[in-house]
Amino acid sequence: MAIALAAVLGLGAAAAHADATLDRIKQRGKVAIGVVVGGGPFGSIDPATQQLVGWNPDLARDLAKQLGAEAELVQVQPSNRVQFLQSGKVDLLIASMEYNADRGEILGHAPTPFYRVGGTAAVLKTSGIAKWEDLRGKVVCASQGSSYVKPLQEQYGAQVRGFKTSAESLLALRGGNCVAAVHDATLIQPLLRNNAEWAAYAAPIRDEILPAPSVVWTRKGEADTIAAVDKVVQQWHRSGWLIATEKRNGIEPPQPLLTELQARFKAP
Amino acid sequence: MSEALLAQAVAALKTVGLNYAFVLDLGERSAFLRGLGVTLQLCLLTIPASLAAGVLIASALTSGRAWLVQPARAFVEVTRNTPTLVQLYCAFLVLNMLITQHVKLPGGNPLTPFVWVVIVVSLHKGVFHAEALRAGIEAVPRVTLEAARSLGFSQRQLLWRVELPLALRFALPALVNNLVDLVKMTAVASAIAVGDVTYESIMIWTQRDNVLELLLLILVFFGLLTWLVSLVGRWLEERLRMSGYGQ
Repeated sequence: MAIALAAVLGLGAAAAHADATLDRIKQRGKVAIGVVVGGGPFGSIDPATQQLVGWNPDLARDLAKQLGAEAELVQVQPSNRVQFLQSGKVDLLIASMEYNADRGEILGHAPTPFYRVGGTAAVLKTSGIAKWEDLRGKVVCASQGSSYVKPLQEQYGAQVRGFKTSAESLLALRGGNCVAAVHDATLIQPLLRNNAEWAAYAAPIRDEILPAPSVVWTRKGEADTIAAVDKVVQQWHRSGWLIATEKRNGIEPPQPLLTELQARFKAP
Repeated sequence: MSEALLAQAVAALKTVGLNYAFVLDLGERSAFLRGLGVTLQLCLLTIPASLAAGVLIASALTSGRAWLVQPARAFVEVTRNTPTLVQLYCAFLVLNMLITQHVKLPGGNPLTPFVWVVIVVSLHKGVFHAEALRAGIEAVPRVTLEAARSLGFSQRQLLWRVELPLALRFALPALVNNLVDLVKMTAVASAIAVGDVTYESIMIWTQRDNVLELLLLILVFFGLLTWLVSLVGRWLEERLRMSGYGQ
């Protein structure tokens, strides 16, 4: 009861202040950032040092540095990341979480994206599939609740089979139960590139389905934090740091959005 | 005509805060109805298949021959002590993949996800049937067996004409209990994208966020199915009752 009361009072205080999070970051000299480490170049755990490495942790560490604070990296899952942010366990999320209108309703975000993620299809090299239209009438595996299900069914006329997670969907593809598995390109590209088991598969469709910007998420209405973070993200683009970080982490193919945004922010 | 009636019903439910708008979408409505059909098919196939598996395993368990008893016992223990979902994943994602990779059939792998669900659920519940039947078989009085043997019954005749008919009566309440559980268990099909009612509902509610409304429908549907199963079970118990034996 006392804790609940304190929490309510805390929320009240947060609402009364312009922006509690930025104050707290400055005061503590630390910022807690939630990162997704799902393996691969976007985030994984270095087996030798147990340190978080990859794209998401690199961005989180540099963001903390630019904010003049020490980074506390917290591992989050796609299923619980919003709760971590809302409950105050983390202050910011750099968690492979793309912008969409529903999320924009409940959370705040720095408007400048640091990446763009869309869906791509993994298929057997021998399947002869080269564009999304080739999937018409074919069985396609996806995750249940994936945003790619709708366009696959309605726009391209594919028969979608939704599995509980991407792991089962990809296994079903290898079991020959579907012609293609459609997931985030950031999942499929590194998988096909670095795995001997996936040597017979490729992602031949060049344009991504439903591309959406990845942004840094904050709690709702924290205008000062958002402004501070956005300034850092813009600076990342201007200096070419994101492009260098992408290259350093071996992320391929390079995301064209990064060069696009670098040109935009460099222009006077 | 019926379309207008449906629209009215949806509007009426909307006023009490239930969003059943998906029934007005032809694609989603037919997907949901197809899901109901697939669940019914799954039940109609797995009930007899699981009973057949149960009889087979029970006769192996009570055969008294070590080379039959031991593998059957091992199978029972492994199957009974691991979750159905895990078995389904192992069968469909691992076994099925190995089969696809190593058996090159002209028409591709004939084992569809649907077939795997029928196999896994039937064997899983068959094991429970077998244990129920074993209890029944072991409850057949020794004197009855001796009487049958003295009449010159072979081992097989003994099983089919004496032990199983009596065991069935003894085990019937447990078997019906298993079958009710089996009906509910068919929902695991959704995990490997077999289009049963649970799967089709998940696919609808992840787009429409009408979880409560669809879960209510699923609840009513499964409630109806399990009620039918227990009704048939009660009728059988009544019909097979033998005075002086079992219940």
